[in-house]
Amino acid sequence: MSQTGPGFGFAPEADAPVPYMQRIRDYYLALGYATPYRWAHYAEVPFRALTRPLAECRVALITTAAPYQPDKGDQGPGAPYNGAAKFYRVYSGDSRIDHDVRISHLGIDRAHTTAEDSNSWFPLPQLRRCAAAARIGEVVPRFHGAPTNRSHRTTLDQDCPELLARCRADGADAALLVAN
Amino acid sequence: MSLAARHLEENGIATVVMGCAKDIVEFVGVPRFLFSDFPLGNAAGRPRDPQSQAITMELALRLLEAAPAARTTVQSPLRWSEDPSWKLDYSNIERLSPDEIRRRRKEFDRQKEVARDVRDQSAAARSS
Repeated sequence: MSQTGPGFGFAPEADAPVPYMQRIRDYYLALGYATPYRWAHYAEVPFRALTRPLAECRVALITTAAPYQPDKGDQGPGAPYNGAAKFYRVYSGDSRIDHDVRISHLGIDRAHTTAEDSNSWFPLPQLRRCAAAARIGEVVPRFHGAPTNRSHRTTLDQDCPELLARCRADGADAALLVAN
Repeated sequence: MSLAARHLEENGIATVVMGCAKDIVEFVGVPRFLFSDFPLGNAAGRPRDPQSQAITMELALRLLEAAPAARTTVQSPLRWSEDPSWKLDYSNIERLSPDEIRRRRKEFDRQKEVARDVRDQSAAARSS
């Protein structure tokens, strides 16, 4: 019996997290871009434990999704990549109401998902339900949109401080950041 | 997103990143990471599946409460599909014809121009 054959209960080798960094490097190299993208990388990682029970915490939601802009072309569901829908400044919205935010400006997996249900990338209604059930203390008054800027400098010097200032202004104890 | 999580955490706000790109988020290095092994774009759960979305949120909250140290990753037990072959497609150069690669290069350059215009407009609006 081979080691990958029946009997061990092993999963297929490809059934592991997708190696995105290698894929993306190889992809852009094949497209003709010689300089590979360099991801941020740190040896040290900060850590701050919650100082009170989650049921007493004020929680912020941060998203990379963009507000739907009817004049900016197809934004889905099922839209191809749409650079016109990108945004370059932190924005905020009222957490108490529903919002139409889309992800056509991001590199989602368009072969296997269509961005048809914003609850799969923007869980604000779900977070409000957690507050209603007293699972968390409350949702802070605003959610925040984080630009997906390819410039680390802009992200670190401009967007991160802006997100922190807004979370602090709202008295957030914790934040949920949903990547795409 | 990972950089924002780090910055908030450094300044006293506990964070959890929800995402589908395990290697990238872990390479950057974040305090807490809920990994869903789903196609990119579904970090908060499966579309049209409120139960999957509720489970995903609950896992993120539990991680927020209980992570013992930085770089704690929890992988959601939810599976996108019993067939894992979807994982072979994303940006996989081995699956693209030379014609398709040329088409994508052209499209990428076009989209870069479009995005640059949006960025320049945003910068102009800020400085005016």
